[in-house]
Amino acid sequence: MASTISDASLALSAKIVIAGAFGVGKTTFVAAISEIPVASTEALMPVAAAPADDVSFARGKTTTTVAMDFGRIAVDDGLTLYLFGTPGQDRFWFLWDDLARGALAAIVLVDTRNLAASWPAIAYFERRGDIPFTVVVNLFDGQLTHELAEVRDALDLSPGIPLTTADARDRRDVREALRALIRHALNLLPSH
Amino acid sequence: MRKILIVGAGQAGLQLAHGLLLAGGYEVTVMSQRPASEIRHGRVTSTQCMFGAALEMERRALGVDLWSAAGSGHRIDGLGVSVPGPDAAPAINWLGQLSQYAQSVDQRLKMAAWLELFAERGGTVVINAATVSDLDHLAALYDLVIVAAGKGDIVELFDRDAERSPYSAPQRSLAVAYVHAVRPREEHPDTSAVRFNLIPTVGELIVIPALTTSGTCDILFWEGIPGGPIDTFDQVADDPAAHLAHTLELIRRFAPWEYERCAEAELTDPGATLAGRYAPVVRHPIAALPSGRLALGIADVVVANDPITGQGSNNASRAADTYLAAILAHGDRPYDQAFMQATFDSYWARVAVCTAWTNAMLAPPPPHVLDILGAAGQHQDVADRFANGFSAPDDFADWLLDPIKASTYLAAVTAR
Amino acid sequence: MTRTYALHAPRRPSRVRPYGITRGRTAADRFLGVERLISTVEFDPQRVLGMLPETAAVYEACRYPRTIAELATGLALPLGVIRVLVGDLAAVGRVRIHPPAADIPDRHLLERVLRGLDNL
Repeated sequence: MASTISDASLALSAKIVIAGAFGVGKTTFVAAISEIPVASTEALMPVAAAPADDVSFARGKTTTTVAMDFGRIAVDDGLTLYLFGTPGQDRFWFLWDDLARGALAAIVLVDTRNLAASWPAIAYFERRGDIPFTVVVNLFDGQLTHELAEVRDALDLSPGIPLTTADARDRRDVREALRALIRHALNLLPSH
Repeated sequence: MRKILIVGAGQAGLQLAHGLLLAGGYEVTVMSQRPASEIRHGRVTSTQCMFGAALEMERRALGVDLWSAAGSGHRIDGLGVSVPGPDAAPAINWLGQLSQYAQSVDQRLKMAAWLELFAERGGTVVINAATVSDLDHLAALYDLVIVAAGKGDIVELFDRDAERSPYSAPQRSLAVAYVHAVRPREEHPDTSAVRFNLIPTVGELIVIPALTTSGTCDILFWEGIPGGPIDTFDQVADDPAAHLAHTLELIRRFAPWEYERCAEAELTDPGATLAGRYAPVVRHPIAALPSGRLALGIADVVVANDPITGQGSNNASRAADTYLAAILAHGDRPYDQAFMQATFDSYWARVAVCTAWTNAMLAPPPPHVLDILGAAGQHQDVADRFANGFSAPDDFADWLLDPIKASTYLAAVTAR
Repeated sequence: MTRTYALHAPRRPSRVRPYGITRGRTAADRFLGVERLISTVEFDPQRVLGMLPETAAVYEACRYPRTIAELATGLALPLGVIRVLVGDLAAVGRVRIHPPAADIPDRHLLERVLRGLDNL
């Protein structure tokens, strides 16, 4: 993409959050459509010591690495769309807030083999209420193992939240999931 | 210019940040997890009833009183205690007069305004969810890093001090609702007062007049003994209307004398409720970061008492006051481990009695405390001394916390 | 206390406007989201000399617009450090923080994104 200096100084960006439980395929999803190799910001967070450990004063706290993967798509000459995957550990909600603030929309990726793992992510966006989101079943082996109606029921998903499928490895599927997400966000806008 | 980073934009962090800014000679950065507007329009975070001494400290640090009693119409002049008797009426029921007024300004309002004012006054605000990696790198760029985010995950950097932490589990479940349309107590219609309703074996209902984004209000605050009938707010989680209905139903059942004045209560806003629990804890004040650099904890990062005595924000103010004095007195010397430990030690010296008193209040009251609560109904001096102890808890060491001193004092009062 | 008291009317909450409620966005609201683009203003190699190494790295990297997240991964620094450094550089006019594509996502922006996805 050829850009002049004046073009670059006008460049704009927007982001979409790809949320979901650990191992649900967020990075695969982002990688399928990103025009750069998926990059990752990493940071350490402390892990609470078990009460039994508290008795002794031990230095060197246990930490865990929280990683946020991201990729990007050039929408047009002036606008770049970034896709950010949430950290695998969904207990660090403050990091989700940091990531989600200002997002255009979000996708919660789910694995039908472990639907319960995606409840917290769905509850998070329901509670926020300010970011349009859809739920996408990742077809790991290209097959849907449950009827979508069953999945919707098991997730206790309100009727207004679109539920679709995608193979996170497939670029066209991912693109279609993103298009459906944006259309959903457009539908939620006031009509005038 | 010495560079100081304060992670956390609550009572302690912002009071200290303003104090340093006003003192001059410091480049102060506050790292807040949320922007001011999000704090203001978010969910309530605490009950924050601040008594006279703590209010004085914050005004001194801020150099301005944004919610003066005259301007805001909000002040608290009394503190009362009620304990149920055999029938529906309380057996113990009295009001102590506060010698300096207290205030409970919703921290959504207060911290948002303080953060904005801090930025206006030339302080640097960085909105960021701080991680260990952030602190580790930033400790190299700043002369001193202070962690003031007691509610965040980052607090786990600080090790629990088992010797000073008698409890390892939460001692109360907490349920807070900010409401309009609560009437004052019939006995003192013109005195705005905090009311402690102590219900043995069940918990405590604390009613606190307050100021929120929509004006004056009251906070209905249940402290439930774990496993008991109050420890049931999980069933109304994420449903503010159900939370309020449950609060009122529990008042009708366990503190019926409070029910009528609360019956028409309505939530102040959609974010007006809060429920949770945490174990009271004292932590070691210095965190060693992965690189070996250090961070110093303040307020509820290092001393997190149960809110039963309403001392959280008061202790935060005491902590900011102590740390400010220590930093100013330290001059150009490095903020090393010895400085950090000494700073915390002088804070601990100010709150050790408060912590002992708060922990004692979580246990069933011993006979001498019941004697005091009873005597306060007959002797205004006793009621007033109890009420003013919330502003200066060290006084409790001289009577309430010591059976012998308590009986000596009561004997002297009754002999008058 | 043995006095009896009459019932009192509910206290009408005072609806005074508390300090700060109508104020607009301030520096205390400025949030540098991971996707926000930063670019250097008139890069001058002389200026690098007086900078901390981390600050200089941001100043140099942003000769072409980069996001907060790209700076973090590119310079191997945590997001919070990037936010501090960018804030400091912006405060003295060395870098420019690009505005978000929209304060609140609007139809125009969403349709632009949709067109972009259609053309992929």
